[in-house]
Amino acid sequence: MICPRCDSDKIKVMVKSPVGDEWEVYVCEKCWFSWRSTETINVLPKFRLDDEKIRNMQMIPPIPPLGK
Amino acid sequence: MAKTYKDLREFLQTLEEEGQLVRVAGPVNPEPDLGAIGRAAADIKNGPAVLVENIRGYRYSMVTNVHGSWKNHALMLGMDKDATVKEQFEELNRRWDKFPVTPKVVSREEAPCKQNTITEDINLFELLPLYRINEQDGGFFLSKASVVTGDPEFPDDFNKLNVGTYRIQVKDKDRVGIQALAFHDIAVQLEKAERENKPLPIAITLGNTPLVTFMASTPVGYNQNEYEFVGALQDGVPTEIVKADTCDHLWVPAGAEVVIEGYIIPRHRVVEGPFGEFPGSYSGARLQCEIQITRITHRDNPIFENLYLGVPWTEIDYLMALNTSVPLYKQLKESMPEVVAVNAMYTHGMGVIISTKVRYGGYGKGVAFRLLSTPHGMPYSKIVIIVDEFVDPFNLEQVMWALTTRVKPDKDVSLIENCPGMPLDPSSFPAGMHTKMIIDATTPVAPEPNPRETQLLEKPVGSEAWDAVLRDLLKKGN
Repeated sequence: MICPRCDSDKIKVMVKSPVGDEWEVYVCEKCWFSWRSTETINVLPKFRLDDEKIRNMQMIPPIPPLGK
Repeated sequence: MAKTYKDLREFLQTLEEEGQLVRVAGPVNPEPDLGAIGRAAADIKNGPAVLVENIRGYRYSMVTNVHGSWKNHALMLGMDKDATVKEQFEELNRRWDKFPVTPKVVSREEAPCKQNTITEDINLFELLPLYRINEQDGGFFLSKASVVTGDPEFPDDFNKLNVGTYRIQVKDKDRVGIQALAFHDIAVQLEKAERENKPLPIAITLGNTPLVTFMASTPVGYNQNEYEFVGALQDGVPTEIVKADTCDHLWVPAGAEVVIEGYIIPRHRVVEGPFGEFPGSYSGARLQCEIQITRITHRDNPIFENLYLGVPWTEIDYLMALNTSVPLYKQLKESMPEVVAVNAMYTHGMGVIISTKVRYGGYGKGVAFRLLSTPHGMPYSKIVIIVDEFVDPFNLEQVMWALTTRVKPDKDVSLIENCPGMPLDPSSFPAGMHTKMIIDATTPVAPEPNPRETQLLEKPVGSEAWDAVLRDLLKKGN
């Protein structure tokens, strides 16, 4: 299985449905996209991610310098 | 004394009695149904809250659109459900002046939110029917939490305890991401903790009495405690709080459905988003903070309260309508007593309509300048319309009348380039900068020349008496 957003294969099962055997939720451990097995996932091209996009993302809020 | 609610359940009961809550028996699918239900409820005029009782794979129920209509908003204040928007604005202004009302501290045994405690194998999905709100969201979000944090430098200063609403993305069974925007209170506290490389204790509360949720999304001062405002807006009735289990200086609403305790992991940022936001478009993915959850307490059979947001109007627009307008009105009124009312309901105050008396020529523009130098109005407000004191700024038919009969575009419309803006406004460019537009739709006052006749018509003599006669005839079915 690969991540529908960044194509990483670092996917884990986050959780199984608490009641019955209805669904599972997966999460990508690279870009933290998560989805349910029952969903139809279609990440639009503009929201797809790669290493470069993640590296250049804005940080909110910025991390301050360490105090003395 | 107006009706007040101790918890979400009491409010839901009132909504149901007043015909403003419907139940969906289900079962429904988490996607796309739960998002679609929130959208549909907002699209109905005077739309109800919707309690979804059975969701596939989950144990408990969820409720959405709790604040999503003017009727629900009036009932939140304990007013008649048909109270007009302006009546609700005026009532909020009256109660606002009762601040501060010290909250009532209850013992752990008395607090319903402590009925159950989870400290091992924490799994949010066991309690909350989590779901994707909009199709391109990066995951499942908590959109309506009241988040409690303290000031690491002054942990025992109750005034600096902050209760705010921040979007939260579920990243794992026991870990969530939070958006701590630099200009919001939580970022001040986080910076202090991160300079020392210390975790920031946090309590995420869900399913609160509606005025706690209302105050959590109100832009009050850093040194003003939101719980003391809840007491004021309950017309002097204190709200009930209880100490958090994992941190001595955090206080949470006693009646919350779920309290998630943990800490913000210091000096750590990972991908959060994208997420469909209130301007009706997605805000992109950014590197943001994460919270490690260490403990959950909850009521028996907890109800998950969450909201839909998207193309306006949705529930969030009702929630942020008057709680944006009232603080702006108070700030203007302090220096300009001529101001009658402020409508900052449109897109979180990006559009504002102010009704004012015009003390001397050009005063309308001066009122706009004052708005554009307030903490919220300076970055957010882009289009400012000023109308006379006899125009109800909450009545757009009257505002359109003022625009069409009081605006001479060559002198009354002003553009000011390169001003502070709001990055979530998709028209701002660069993001966070915009041009302001002021429209002065007031009647000219000396020394401004007014070469034309603008005096208002009086009602014909006897109109009021005839109003009563006609209503009576209608009632008799003649």
